[in-house]
Amino acid sequence: MNEFGASVLRARGLRKQYGKGEGLVRAVDEVDLEVAGGETVGVMGPSGCGKSTLLHLLGGLDRPSGGELWLAGQRIDQLGERALARLRRDKIGFIFQAFHLMDELTAAENVELPALLAGRPARWARRRAAELLERVGLADRAGFLPSALSGGQRQRVAIARALVSDPQVVFADEPTGNLDSQATVEVLRLFEQLHSAGQTLVIVTHDSRIAATAGRLISMRDGAFVDETRLTGGSTGNLGALAGLT
Amino acid sequence: MGKIRLIGRLVGRDLRYRPGPAVLLVLAITAATATLTLGLVLHGVTNQPYLQTRAATNGPDVVAQVGGAGRGAAGQAATEAQTRVLTHAPGVTAYSGPYPVASAFVRFHGIAAPVELEGRAQAPASVEQPKVTAGTWVRPGGVVLERTFAEALGVGVGDRVTLDGRAFRVAGIAVTAADLPYPNLCYSTGGGCIFDAPYSGSSPLAAVVGLAWVTEPDARQFASAQAPLYYFLNLKLKNPAAAPAFADRYGASPNGPGLIPWQAIQTGSGLLVQDEQSVLSPGAWLAGLLAIASVAVLAGGRMAERIRRVGLLKAVGGTPGTVTVVLLAENLTLALIAAAAGLAIGWLAAPLVASPGAALVGTPGAPSLTLHIAVEVVAVALVVALASTLVPAIRSARTSTVSALADTARPPRRRPRMIALSARLPAPLLLGLRLVARRPRRALLSAASVTVTATGIIAVLAFHTSVHLQTAGLAGRLGNPAAGRDEQMLTILTVVLVALAVLNAICTAWATVLDARHSSALARALGATPQQVTAGIAAAQVLPAVPGALLGVPLGILLFAAANGAGAAATTVPPAWWLAAAVLGTLVAIAALAAIPARIGARRPVSPILQSETA
Amino acid sequence: MQQEVVLAMLAKEPSHGYQLRARLRQALGPIGDAMNDGQVYVTLARLEKAGLATSEQSAGLPDRPDRKVYALTAAGQQRVAGWLVQVSWPRPDLAEFHLKLIAAAAAGLADPLAIVDAQRRELLRRLRDAQRAALAEPDRSAAGLLLEGIVLRLQADLRWLEACERNWTPRKDPR
Repeated sequence: MNEFGASVLRARGLRKQYGKGEGLVRAVDEVDLEVAGGETVGVMGPSGCGKSTLLHLLGGLDRPSGGELWLAGQRIDQLGERALARLRRDKIGFIFQAFHLMDELTAAENVELPALLAGRPARWARRRAAELLERVGLADRAGFLPSALSGGQRQRVAIARALVSDPQVVFADEPTGNLDSQATVEVLRLFEQLHSAGQTLVIVTHDSRIAATAGRLISMRDGAFVDETRLTGGSTGNLGALAGLT
Repeated sequence: MGKIRLIGRLVGRDLRYRPGPAVLLVLAITAATATLTLGLVLHGVTNQPYLQTRAATNGPDVVAQVGGAGRGAAGQAATEAQTRVLTHAPGVTAYSGPYPVASAFVRFHGIAAPVELEGRAQAPASVEQPKVTAGTWVRPGGVVLERTFAEALGVGVGDRVTLDGRAFRVAGIAVTAADLPYPNLCYSTGGGCIFDAPYSGSSPLAAVVGLAWVTEPDARQFASAQAPLYYFLNLKLKNPAAAPAFADRYGASPNGPGLIPWQAIQTGSGLLVQDEQSVLSPGAWLAGLLAIASVAVLAGGRMAERIRRVGLLKAVGGTPGTVTVVLLAENLTLALIAAAAGLAIGWLAAPLVASPGAALVGTPGAPSLTLHIAVEVVAVALVVALASTLVPAIRSARTSTVSALADTARPPRRRPRMIALSARLPAPLLLGLRLVARRPRRALLSAASVTVTATGIIAVLAFHTSVHLQTAGLAGRLGNPAAGRDEQMLTILTVVLVALAVLNAICTAWATVLDARHSSALARALGATPQQVTAGIAAAQVLPAVPGALLGVPLGILLFAAANGAGAAATTVPPAWWLAAAVLGTLVAIAALAAIPARIGARRPVSPILQSETA
Repeated sequence: MQQEVVLAMLAKEPSHGYQLRARLRQALGPIGDAMNDGQVYVTLARLEKAGLATSEQSAGLPDRPDRKVYALTAAGQQRVAGWLVQVSWPRPDLAEFHLKLIAAAAAGLADPLAIVDAQRRELLRRLRDAQRAALAEPDRSAAGLLLEGIVLRLQADLRWLEACERNWTPRKDPR
């Protein structure tokens, strides 16, 4: 876990563009961002605004065309593939919209995979996987294949997998995009739990329910940030008014 | 009618969209059919050249070897008696000879070879006059060499040679139908040399006796006390077809003349081609097996895309029958194209391989590409294509539409023990072993292909070893052109085998990389470096190849022993380090061939793959 | 507090005022906390006046409102039956906001986008509160269901606000 308050993720002038000349597309256009430890940051925006691309840049899955990016004090925008892989292994957790679990591995085997790739001993990895599955409430499904799990359960396995290496930041790309409302609530609950445990989260979503779990909500349009809202601090008061009681 | 046109259009579109695998498929089947065609055509090479030579030289119907009863008057009389019996036998219409035959050693530029010298008149004989193809006929001090023998020695007209130390000039080069061409002069069928000069060395030397002609007086010079003269008598019969009966009747007695009918010589002169046959047929089988394995892998590898297409076809109303037909139509079309190409290549290559030495007048001409052969080859190609695509075609036609569309129709296999085992290994082996476990059938096919390749390579090594053993004691002596030609054949076959094996390895690697695209991307997203992923895919290819290559060693040795027939005294085993080098070389080659596409894929950015494909 | 709601609560059996209150509280969960206690009694009194309910003093207790036992009259039962089969639904009141945006743009008083953004922020905050409350409820609680409904309505409103934002964003020329 990271020092609460210290800056865990920092981006300056981050850019990603495709094509050139007339056909130049600025997917991410001069983005500045700073995420403190323990924060949950949400990024919302219409389709094609570049939020997924931004997340992939922040999470080391893609190389920026320009700008600077720091993660836990280390500059990562210039790193080679090998170093980026190590970064993804040790410091970053990623949750995808399509879950991306291996069909032929059980839940436990899916969760332990990053640890095994990092060279951890098999027994340690298995224990850690059991721990995390317990944490996400799927201890009794550890031996199930993904085909035997519901959508929400699969995403929870994916979340457990993202936590294996005790990452500095967890990135989530439309985590509830493929889920129905009940599964969404399951994932919501987990995110709230993670937040209260101090995990730094960066979530891209167009689901306002998920966005509402964020302390900071950033709106994105055409590759750039256009608005930021702080949702922390106090309740709005009269819930009864919301229900139409008064 | 509309349906056929639709199927045609679907097939055409698919081929244009993804030509790569189609090209690989065509190459694989072409190689197999070309080898098969070659084998079949050679099989049908008749002994036309022999007949041409026989006609050009007025070859004998029966060749008699008389004499050898000793020098002196008694021996002379015995020889004359034998001659008289034969020349006056019923059915004999003409004869030439008896010509004296002596044994000597010819030396040229440091090479020494045993040679039978036949003494002839300078004037042409009416029966059995060897046809001069270069230079002139015999003259005093001039020797005429048989054509293949001259080629093996490397002499030309006008060169100086020594016969048992005496200087001679090469007057000319000729061919004959009365003897087997070098180096088969001493083969029992249709041959039988009377070489008798003392020599040191191992028995293989006797097989490499050559034939030459000199004037009669010159020949008699070489007769010695230890080696009595023999004589060749050439007979023409009223009924040439009755030659074997004649030979049986008059050649039965042990002290009497040895009689050889012309049919035996004809058979013997085809031996050179038969040797090549014995090399070619197992080779063709191996090539065929490899081709089938490649095609099966390709068919399996394309299944993933296929299944979705099948789902779409069924969703818009195609029956399972239609679906199967569409799938098969494509592969059968490619097989037909490949068969045509293979036939053409085999037919064009046959003359290069089939010329049975230069011993006979004329080349075989265009080997007959009979309709029979063409039909056989096309049938084989179709069967190969059918066999490897039938199972996937039927299976995909039977899968439910829903699962086909959802792409869950061919889920990877799960092997809990392999997964648990791989957890203890370092990352590349972890990835590699799991990739192998996902698709056990492809791993098996891959191992089988490697076995076939290794078998071929080891058999070739065994052949080389046996040749080396044979020529070990023959320093300064002539090599055996039959062995040379066999080696040539084997080299061609090895090249074809290796080419097919490379093709097969590329097919398997491509199929694996395609299948592993999503898992590799995911592994990289979870922290595997590109190097680990590349190594993993290479390991996935090498792991099944190890037992395959090891199995190929004993199989290859056995194959060579079997192909060599009863001739092999003991099974030749190549030296250990050759075997080790062959096995290691194969494994390294496979790893390299897999690593190339893997590396290219591992460098691509991860996000597009993960965004477009579902788990 | 709608009269019919209180009436319907009485349908099960005659109850004291405080019993009614407790039942309402249970059904509404944390939302019920904001409810004004006095509301129930005011409504009960109105119902009595309208002849839809009757009250009885509990025997032997001083004459205080929370000691009365209320019960439905026949007319009251009829009203409840009629109410149960009604399919009217609370009307969404979007017209006001819609006109607000148009007026602001037309008169140049304010940037419609800014208005939309501000409203979005407010709704997001409310969503957050409601969602938190919903998550805190045990599974399958009646109150949890109500909170879920609030959350979903807010979500729908937010979607409409996103549409407003898209609509009121000036068209950009392709770069």
